[in-house]
Amino acid sequence: MASEDEFNLLAIVVDVNPIWWGQQAQREPEFTLSKCLDAVMVMGNSHMAMTRTNKLAIIASHCQDSHFLYPCKTWKGGEGSGDDASSSGDGKYELLSVANNLIAEEIRNVMSKTEVRGHSTDTLLAGSLAKALCYIHRVTKELEAGQEMKSRILVIKAADDCALQYMNFMNVIFAAQKQNILIDACVLDSDSGLLQQACDITGGLYLKIPQKVALAQYLLWVFLPDSDQRSQLVLPPPAHVDYRAACFCHRNLIEIGYVCSVCLSIFCNFSPICTTCETAFKIQLPQMVKSKKKKLKPST
Amino acid sequence: LVLSGMYIFQIDRYSMEWGLRVQLQCKNLHEYLKELSPEILDRLYNHPATCLAVYRELPALAKNYVMRMLFLDQPLPQAAVALWVKKDSQRDHDECVSVLSGLRLWHSQQLQGGLQGYILNPVFKDNLRIALLGGGRAWADEGSTLGPDRHARDIESLDRYAMERWEVILHFMVGSPSAAVSQDLAQLLIQAGLMRSEPGEAPCITSAGFQFLLLDTASQLWYFTLQYLNTVQSRGMDLVEILSFLFQLSFSTLGRDYSVEGMSESLLIFLQHLREFGLVFQRKRKSRRYYPTRLAITLAAGVTTNSSSSSNMSITPGTGDTGFIVVETNYRIYAYTNSELQIALVALFSEMLYRFPNVVVAQVTRESVQQAIANGITAQQIIHFLRTRAHPVMLKQTPVLPPTITDQIRLWELERDRLQFTEGVLYNQFLSQADFEVLRDRAQGLGCLVWQNVAHRVMVVTPQGHSEVKRFWKRQKSHT
Repeated sequence: MASEDEFNLLAIVVDVNPIWWGQQAQREPEFTLSKCLDAVMVMGNSHMAMTRTNKLAIIASHCQDSHFLYPCKTWKGGEGSGDDASSSGDGKYELLSVANNLIAEEIRNVMSKTEVRGHSTDTLLAGSLAKALCYIHRVTKELEAGQEMKSRILVIKAADDCALQYMNFMNVIFAAQKQNILIDACVLDSDSGLLQQACDITGGLYLKIPQKVALAQYLLWVFLPDSDQRSQLVLPPPAHVDYRAACFCHRNLIEIGYVCSVCLSIFCNFSPICTTCETAFKIQLPQMVKSKKKKLKPST
Repeated sequence: LVLSGMYIFQIDRYSMEWGLRVQLQCKNLHEYLKELSPEILDRLYNHPATCLAVYRELPALAKNYVMRMLFLDQPLPQAAVALWVKKDSQRDHDECVSVLSGLRLWHSQQLQGGLQGYILNPVFKDNLRIALLGGGRAWADEGSTLGPDRHARDIESLDRYAMERWEVILHFMVGSPSAAVSQDLAQLLIQAGLMRSEPGEAPCITSAGFQFLLLDTASQLWYFTLQYLNTVQSRGMDLVEILSFLFQLSFSTLGRDYSVEGMSESLLIFLQHLREFGLVFQRKRKSRRYYPTRLAITLAAGVTTNSSSSSNMSITPGTGDTGFIVVETNYRIYAYTNSELQIALVALFSEMLYRFPNVVVAQVTRESVQQAIANGITAQQIIHFLRTRAHPVMLKQTPVLPPTITDQIRLWELERDRLQFTEGVLYNQFLSQADFEVLRDRAQGLGCLVWQNVAHRVMVVTPQGHSEVKRFWKRQKSHT
């Protein structure tokens, strides 16, 4: 039985990219953003129902910014006097119905207020993950002495990867790894190399679900068990990880490239000066290396 | 056949006669539910709150099983369920299966192909779904139908109220003259064995009562509630109704008012009892609304017995004096409190040195600890008491209490524990050495031999092994 000392924080990052979801609604009218959020709420409720000490955070990742759906600013904290008696009175556990109403309200705000400006249509996933990490850090610091918290992040990913965020993404992943935070990924559409790496490095689970309509069941089945129970359960085998890195100059995913010997930046084609650390490479061309070496030998 | 020439003595429970070491047993919810009859269990699952409470008490793995099957309408083949876990956690799986079947949360059902399958108890499934996702009837009439309360209470005053009520009970137990409780409550304390009453005298505390005082508030509350539940049926109340209401309370929101509308007569009496324990706040007896206090809300959390944790404090801030004891390696205890009750509790196992307005200084000595142990308090309880009430400064170090102190208290307890009692059945007056050896070897083979003396031809067998050994002996006799 889980000890009461232990808090379990689950941060769910939902990709609410309006462009992808708009296309999705045309492709498959039976699986829309609201269906997806229903599934997320089922997952969140199940997590909070498991023990009294389980905590939940839900972040919506939009294409310009990321929003906390729960807990949010209007939330008065767990014990605030229910000002509008927000339980719907349909037999749901009060805490859960308050949370669900808040989430529904916030997502409505987010989707109606934010408008897509400019050309960037990619989801700001790295930013949302960073926000989740910050939130986890804050909650950890607020714990009393003698309490421990285990946290994990579940990413529900819809739109395609954005190579532009490669650097930020990797930084987030390593920060999570250092803090012992699992990153799980539930991918709705096309495989994501970045998230594969994130799950592999932090020890989380990566799953591309074959049937989007059954999202809730996949979430409950695979992502609800925490790390202790995962060691007991048979779960989907780890996916093949795409470890290609994005080059720093054009953000393309490359298999073979040039690496700066000073700062380890990756480039898809050769440049005499590293754009990251401004190191000037004395060697003119890669072919010249052999002759250089010969010249250097007598001196060493 | 008669066992010729051999007498069997039942060695009775010496422990009962020897000492008053009656351990306070605090069952958890799961153990309690297991003892209920199947009909009561099935009726219990008619309320979402009980389903949620029962669900929370399950082992972690079983919780996942329930979640996986919650939205399935067909039974799952048992073989498929068995494949959910890895090979090396098969034992956990078996435990989950037995727990789920024991609480009647799932049933075996024949599948179409002739395979055995599992399906969740439909009543439980529906009500857990309602608790999670709604779509059912409201648990109780909402307080909002009453309109806002003119005498609304904030959380602090509720906490204060709950703490005061609970402390009155504890004070009553230690016999403070100022504390008075109702006849009903005093009766309950006596029935629970926490107090003892001689006719014509005021009730006084028993050794179980001392052990009770050393528990943390959540465990005290749970123990007390269990005792109350045991008497529910003799009071002519419906156990299922009471339990459902209790769980409903524990899932309510602190600081909100609820209406008594639609509650039955026996439930209203129960509410008055809860009011006396400090679990709910009701301004007047006839008031139409009540506020659950933190005590009621932590009730389900205090259910787990292995509360070696400090979290009970974080859940119940304000209830009881938590975090006021500093223990030093020189066996001194500094208790920053002016509560008579807490000082009396510390004095149960220590020697008072100094007393100041806000702090008492006490010394743990061999005599004082052994005195406490003679009163039926265990070392574990003393250590638990000190740990759960440790000052925030103490909490920062690991382990919270200095190991020298905890070890020494345990050693002092061991000094008294030099005898160990084992129940057994004595076999003696064997007619021949050969008879003795045959029977002894058989008992040894069965692993039930407790003790033997070859010279006197006597041996002691455990009660479990007795029937088997006896049967063997009869067979042996008939052969020869």
